[in-house]
Amino acid sequence: MKKILPLLLIVYFFVFSEKSVCAQIKTEVPSPTATFESEPTASPDPTPEPTPRVDITQKSEESIGPLEKLLNDQVLGPVFPANPLKYAIRASVKAGVPPNTIVLLILLPLIAAVIAAARHIIGLRGFGIFLPAALSIVFVAIGPVVGLLLFLVIVSASTFFRMLLRKIKIKLQYLPRMSLILWFVVCGVLLVLFLAPLIKIPGLTNVSIFPVLLLVLLAEDFTKLQLGKSARTAVSFITETIILSLISYMFLTMQSLQRYALLNPEITLLSVAVFDLILGKYTGLRVLEYWRFRKLIKG
Amino acid sequence: MKAQNILGLNARTQLFSYQYNKPKSKRIASSKLLTEKVLKKAGIPTPLIYKKFIKPKDILNFDWNGLPEAFVVKPSRGLGGNGIIVIKKRSKDKTGWITTSRKKLLEEDLKLHVLDILEGAFSMHNSPDAAFIQEYVPRHKAFRKYAYRGTPDIRIIVFNKVPVMAMMRLPTKDSGGRANLHQGAIGVGVDIATGITTKSIWYGNQIRYKPGTKRKLHGIKIPHWTDILKIAVLSQEASGLGLLGVDIVLHPTKGPMVLELNYQPGTQIQLANMAGLRKRLERVEDLKVRDAEHGVKIAKALFMSDFSDRVKADEGVKTISSLEEIKIKGAQKGLRKKVYAKVDTGAWRTSISKKLAEELGLLNQNNILWTKEFKSSLGKEERPVISLTFWLAGRKITTPASVAKRMTLKYPIIIGRKNLKGFLVDPHIPIDKVKEAREKK
Repeated sequence: MKKILPLLLIVYFFVFSEKSVCAQIKTEVPSPTATFESEPTASPDPTPEPTPRVDITQKSEESIGPLEKLLNDQVLGPVFPANPLKYAIRASVKAGVPPNTIVLLILLPLIAAVIAAARHIIGLRGFGIFLPAALSIVFVAIGPVVGLLLFLVIVSASTFFRMLLRKIKIKLQYLPRMSLILWFVVCGVLLVLFLAPLIKIPGLTNVSIFPVLLLVLLAEDFTKLQLGKSARTAVSFITETIILSLISYMFLTMQSLQRYALLNPEITLLSVAVFDLILGKYTGLRVLEYWRFRKLIKG
Repeated sequence: MKAQNILGLNARTQLFSYQYNKPKSKRIASSKLLTEKVLKKAGIPTPLIYKKFIKPKDILNFDWNGLPEAFVVKPSRGLGGNGIIVIKKRSKDKTGWITTSRKKLLEEDLKLHVLDILEGAFSMHNSPDAAFIQEYVPRHKAFRKYAYRGTPDIRIIVFNKVPVMAMMRLPTKDSGGRANLHQGAIGVGVDIATGITTKSIWYGNQIRYKPGTKRKLHGIKIPHWTDILKIAVLSQEASGLGLLGVDIVLHPTKGPMVLELNYQPGTQIQLANMAGLRKRLERVEDLKVRDAEHGVKIAKALFMSDFSDRVKADEGVKTISSLEEIKIKGAQKGLRKKVYAKVDTGAWRTSISKKLAEELGLLNQNNILWTKEFKSSLGKEERPVISLTFWLAGRKITTPASVAKRMTLKYPIIIGRKNLKGFLVDPHIPIDKVKEAREKK
């Protein structure tokens, strides 16, 4: 069960996420309840043309328009006590700050809380809080499929190269060795990009440097941890991290959540803080610990 | 068992590690070099350190050939046993060394490895580290048949000066001679009271035999057990940590030595012992423990393993009478006294009369575990609780027992339900037995 679940999730994302994002752009229904899980049924078009997906981390017409419209449509009461942030957001958007950045920033503590909850209540370890969060932002920027593809390419390239170095007994000092590994990883990423004209994955063409750089940095941490642990734990760590970042990605791209966060920033931020405080006080067993100690509990 | 008795990671960190471990002590525990310094100052045995490498230039003039045949290269702040090289002997041609995993290393390799350590390849966040060469501790002969190549170590969880749980870690073929459970070593639970192994886990599953053999893993007696426990408590006092795991190895001739301290001990130890750690920690949290000896005494009385199921399988459930003659161990060496005890299934804890306890020398300061307020129909009363060892129907039982001041006790000792596991009690008392008991009194 534990092994099948991550696989299913990954397959699910591969199959649905690209399609649904495209579908959202095409349908453009600004209904507040629409989540992208219900979208695929709305795109019966058998031969979808490769529409560019919306990169919400970038400032563009597609990513800003609907959000700004949303802000303008909301009717506000007095500034205090309930609306100080709302007014601040409006003022800064008017001054040129992109609303998508504000949305992502407001959602960032939320996904951090989700990751923390996954650790403390469920027991998914992942690699700390920064790694899955950063990975999910990468997914948001370049799409989960391309993100995952690049990530796997980078991890396997650096692992493979480490093993190769060990096999052929080239012994280098730590920093030169790390930079040589980086060299190899960059070659791997370049190779994937060079394959773009052949494999035609949508989204591969508009990959920018920052997500790639972030991925490379993450991969370094991964491989380092992998060296210390056994292969078994390394693989479970990686899958757990990917699951966590896919869940975070889901939260980040959920349209209804984005709208809610933008329209109710005070409630969103405050409830996340309260949740964090409660979470930090939880001292019970984690779900996976119940599983781990099941014989002890039964016996 | 109830889930609240089990110590999860949340509770470990928040209820115990955060509260009882001060930053200064954590700093000591997270550096092996600092740990060694502190322990040495406190007179606790540790493996010798032959050489420390703090700066890269320390390697330049170091004579590797001047080292003993066997030694260990370690990072000071390595994580999870990484970056440790164990050299077992020189290679036959004298050009290099052979590790425990039978790999040949040249001087160049060792130098490079030390440089890697200094660069921070094995420390958290890649921060620069120090390396050192340490004495190799060979395997004690008691473990020869059980450990694969490497040296087993004994992890003892100490809290509030009481050793609460213990586990031996046996290297296997899978773990490549390393005593790390994640890498495939076996975790063997150890009874705190006797130092005899109980249950074993391997990759999180219960096993009975050494993998691939018919060699039983339970029933191994660990030598120097009381010393090991005492050293563990002394290490806690020296480091100032509240809750910690002490890793101890047994040197064949020099006895137990402390390898390292861990301020966030893992929770698998509960599976190896099939016992909940949280309950034990809470049990000793508020006790006032004077010193290491006192702490060990409390631990032995409180946390004796339940061997009754094994005993039951061996000899069946024993039936005893409500009035049984038992043998009590006195404080002096060799002092034993036979008395008649009332077996009282209405009482939870065993209690002993003050007169008898005094007579056997059990009421001295060193044997009193703690004092407890008892409520009875006569009002509140402070009673000392002592460590008591007795033999009932051929079984040795060590337990905390409360001392009753009342002189009206018909029998000098009452055995409570707590110590009656594996026995059936026959309520009928033959009249001649009562007479005999009266006469003895």
